[in-house]
Amino acid sequence: MSGARRPSNPSRAWLDRQTATVRIWYRGAVGCGLAAGVATLIQMGALAWVVDRVVSDRATLAQVAGGLALIVAAIVVRALAQWGQESCGQECGLRVRRQVRARLLARLHELGPVRLASRHSAGLASQLVDQVEALEGYYSRFLPQMVLAAAIPLIYLVVVFWLNWLAAIWLLIAAPLIPLFMALIGMGAQRLNEAQFQAVTRLSGHFLDRVRGIATLQLFGLGERSIAEVGEVAHDYRRRSLKTLRVAFLSSAVLEFFAAVSVAVVAIYIGFGLLGYIDYGPAEQLDLFSGLFILLLAPEFFQPLRTLSQHYHDRASALGAAEGLVELLDAGAETVQPAHETPDSSLETGEIRLADVELSHAGRERILGPLSLTVTPGEVVALVGPSGSGKSSLLQLIAGFVAPDRGRVMVRRDPAIAWLDQRPLIIQGTLAENLRLVALDADDAALTRALEQAGLGDWLAAAPAGLETPLGERGVGLSGGEGQRLALARIFLSPAPLVLLDEPTAALDPETERRVIAGLARLAASGRTLVMATHHPAVMAMAHTVYAIENGQLKRTSRAEVAPRVEMEP
Amino acid sequence: MKALSPLLPWLGVMKERRGRLLLGGVLMLATLASALGLLSLSGWFITATAVAAMTGAYLDVFAPGGGIRFFAVSRTVSRYLERLYNHDTVLRLLADLRSRVFRGLVVLDARTLSRVRASQWLNRLTADIDTLDNLYLRLLAPPLVALIGIVGFALFAMAFLPSAGIAILALLLPLWLAVTLGCAWWGWRASHRRVERQERLRVRTIEQIEGLAELTAYGALETHRRHWRREERILLDDQRRLGRRTAAGNALMTLGVQSTTLLVLMLGLLAFQQGAVSGPVMVMLALGTLAVSEGLGNLPMAFVQFGATQRSAERLNEQTALRPALVGEPLTTGGAAPALAYLEVDVRHGERRVFVDLTLTLAAGERVAIVGTSGSGKSTLAQLAVRAFDPDAGSVTFEGHDIATIDPDSLRARIGYLTQRSELFHDTLAANLRMGAPEASDERLWWALEQVELRAWAETLPQGLETWIGEQGRQLSGGQARRVALARVMLRDSPLVILDEPLSGLDSGTAERLKATLDDWLGERTALLLGHDEAALPRCDRYWRLVPGAEGTRLEGDVSHP
Repeated sequence: MSGARRPSNPSRAWLDRQTATVRIWYRGAVGCGLAAGVATLIQMGALAWVVDRVVSDRATLAQVAGGLALIVAAIVVRALAQWGQESCGQECGLRVRRQVRARLLARLHELGPVRLASRHSAGLASQLVDQVEALEGYYSRFLPQMVLAAAIPLIYLVVVFWLNWLAAIWLLIAAPLIPLFMALIGMGAQRLNEAQFQAVTRLSGHFLDRVRGIATLQLFGLGERSIAEVGEVAHDYRRRSLKTLRVAFLSSAVLEFFAAVSVAVVAIYIGFGLLGYIDYGPAEQLDLFSGLFILLLAPEFFQPLRTLSQHYHDRASALGAAEGLVELLDAGAETVQPAHETPDSSLETGEIRLADVELSHAGRERILGPLSLTVTPGEVVALVGPSGSGKSSLLQLIAGFVAPDRGRVMVRRDPAIAWLDQRPLIIQGTLAENLRLVALDADDAALTRALEQAGLGDWLAAAPAGLETPLGERGVGLSGGEGQRLALARIFLSPAPLVLLDEPTAALDPETERRVIAGLARLAASGRTLVMATHHPAVMAMAHTVYAIENGQLKRTSRAEVAPRVEMEP
Repeated sequence: MKALSPLLPWLGVMKERRGRLLLGGVLMLATLASALGLLSLSGWFITATAVAAMTGAYLDVFAPGGGIRFFAVSRTVSRYLERLYNHDTVLRLLADLRSRVFRGLVVLDARTLSRVRASQWLNRLTADIDTLDNLYLRLLAPPLVALIGIVGFALFAMAFLPSAGIAILALLLPLWLAVTLGCAWWGWRASHRRVERQERLRVRTIEQIEGLAELTAYGALETHRRHWRREERILLDDQRRLGRRTAAGNALMTLGVQSTTLLVLMLGLLAFQQGAVSGPVMVMLALGTLAVSEGLGNLPMAFVQFGATQRSAERLNEQTALRPALVGEPLTTGGAAPALAYLEVDVRHGERRVFVDLTLTLAAGERVAIVGTSGSGKSTLAQLAVRAFDPDAGSVTFEGHDIATIDPDSLRARIGYLTQRSELFHDTLAANLRMGAPEASDERLWWALEQVELRAWAETLPQGLETWIGEQGRQLSGGQARRVALARVMLRDSPLVILDEPLSGLDSGTAERLKATLDDWLGERTALLLGHDEAALPRCDRYWRLVPGAEGTRLEGDVSHP
């Protein structure tokens, strides 16, 4: 933050870069913290003055009313500044989190559906949600406190020095150099946090591993033994992490010790000085006011450092999270392809032209090509071939999810392409919200019509809440076939002239399959361009053209030639 | 109080360690008392020396000086011991809680388990447990120690100046209530629902990742982003609300503690002027009041989040108290190959009827293959045989006994079941293999590895059988993991064997050789082999095909041998 530190580690550099947009709030937090520190100083000074006047000079309450009023004012300022510091710090944390999440989401979009397929979606989501949460304390508490832990003790030291330089030296002896102190806390707290972080992560890993495998444990009759094992492993980690903790806590104990001893030394020095037992240095100038003031400031001198050491775990968890996030933000940065090619104006809507296209997986053999393909508007095309032959890859090329290594893909993708996935997307929300994803302004009648065309008319009629039926994890679960037909309804609803379907009838029972095929037939008759990857003879039967993919090459083929190869269900 | 009931079972777990908790609390109290003693005695000492200097009276400086040094050391030592001891306690509680949650899960039947696995619940499980393990350190001990500190110091103050003691009680007790119960109530709703809202954001994120192809193609990504941003905003609003309330709680605490200190000082001043207390005592009481606040430190933050803790407990309770374990009589028959029969079995998964009136019999020593597409119910047949759950109607018999009356563990001890997924654990290769036969010798393990053609590979490993295989066996390829799982079943050497897609993920050469090995090994055992087609299985006596239909799955037999 200060610019003086040069973070060597990329996670920390990244963490520090995120503060660029929250500087105002960050400064607000530091400013409020300083204000609270100064208010504390004033409060303690006024307190010492009041006591001194009353005890030494036998002043009446009325005579010290000014001091009492100052104390009240200082207390109020202190409380308000404290509130301000926390609120500003919190705003830093909130804003950084929002900004990081937006960037991650944009990053996922850049990576695209094909590259994301190799990653675990729940893992990514946990990075985007939980890991980003872990950044909070670093920005809201740790960073402002870093500055305060250096600045506030310094202010107090100056005041103490002015009151009595020897007392200031007592404080300095206790805290030889603040940076050294901070490094000490840092090392201790960091080791502590790293150890704990690691232990907890490994422990959670073991636990989740066993929970995931419970069915297997049951099969082997190991249930009881595993319960004991889960406990044993946790205890084993406890014993091991305690070894580290014993040392790690020592460093904060050293801080505590210095803090306590310096209060004690200062108190005894002042006491002896007041009694006149000390006849060197500035001890003779000590009076009750300066003595009490110094004593009151002594614990406050160490308080910011103690607070910082409490916040050290915020730093550790932010660093831990940042590591994963930086990795995701940088992942395959060099392989991100440029956006779609500019559409050829000579291209009609719904037309596809592929010229000498080749596609290979990163570092692996060629999957497709070189191949050329022209699909005219309104044509219905089926792609057949064994799994792994590249049917899906061809669809992804046409959709623009991957760019070809060679050749040209010419498709007009505006306004949209309709896409039917093997696993249709069902979002948490109502049926209507699920459909309106693809057509924002569609009215209820249009939604109902699309559902009927997709073969969900009966389902809709039977649903009491109709279009407002909630779907998704918390709503009504749709069966696989119903989900597939919902995706089909989206196609009917979408104005997209080009429709790409990836195995629209995979994993459906015969009854559902029949309904989906009927829906597809209606779609084929609607004049849109359809390209379908399929195994199903009935789907092939509705195609104008069937291509077989063999060794990455397209082979135009007749339906009769392909159909017998597909195993018929009895 | 009703809101607290979800926490009761977990408080019960802690009660078993009440000795430790008590000692931890005492150490916390000792730390607070030392801080209090240090500051108040120092204040007393300085004022007393100043007074003595003015009046020339004699002052014993050694006793208070010693006291100050004692408190300085005792504060450091007690704080160190307290942190170490209480961390130990928290880790012990963690072990207790994990065992308890695991015990609750281990008795669940397969269907409930698969629901648990499918949901996001598993991802939150450890976070929920962690919330509870530090319940003691955040929510139980600190408020109690603070309360004892307040009352104790008030009584102490009363001995010198009753009005000061009463003022401390009158101001600090309500303050204590405000930063504990008050903050808990104030943050309750927002923190309780924050957990849920974070979950919703997660679900939206998963939607966006898994549906990226559809959303991108349709140009619908921005629409979905809007949904996503709305969830995020709601979550951040709640967090902002909670943060502001915590900040307000902290500010209130500062205000309360400092005002109390001021009031005690003013009462002291008045009493001092009337000669009721000495100057040193007056200062001691004021500084002591200030030091008491150290005990209140983290309470607002902890209590504003109280709702989230309660929600975690609620969620854990939902899963761990699901249903009682399946029970039954232990089997007493010997180790001969048994007969297995499914008699008019009905199975429903929710609304879907998987089997209606399904009947299938395996004579002792018979080898039967069931083929069918994925989702046709093959694995369900296997799960019925091991009593992973009981059928909705009809019965499954093992050696003529209805398995619904047999103790699941004793039944499973006679069955070697290779599940469709190769479930390996983060442990050594040997430990994973010995799950099948805990007493097996190393030679026996090598034999099994040889059977599945992994011996040569295992011999190249520097640590051999003691090699750790990664989380869910990740360091193994799919085919290797499959074969380790198969070796584990072979080691079990059971009279009934069920293999679900035994050769999936293997290259054709290995698959062919393993077919022959399995053919030998299965020998006279009763076997139920499940696969997507006949070619994927070793030779069998009979072949059946599972054909899905609207009225549940039918068995169509005897598909001729390929």
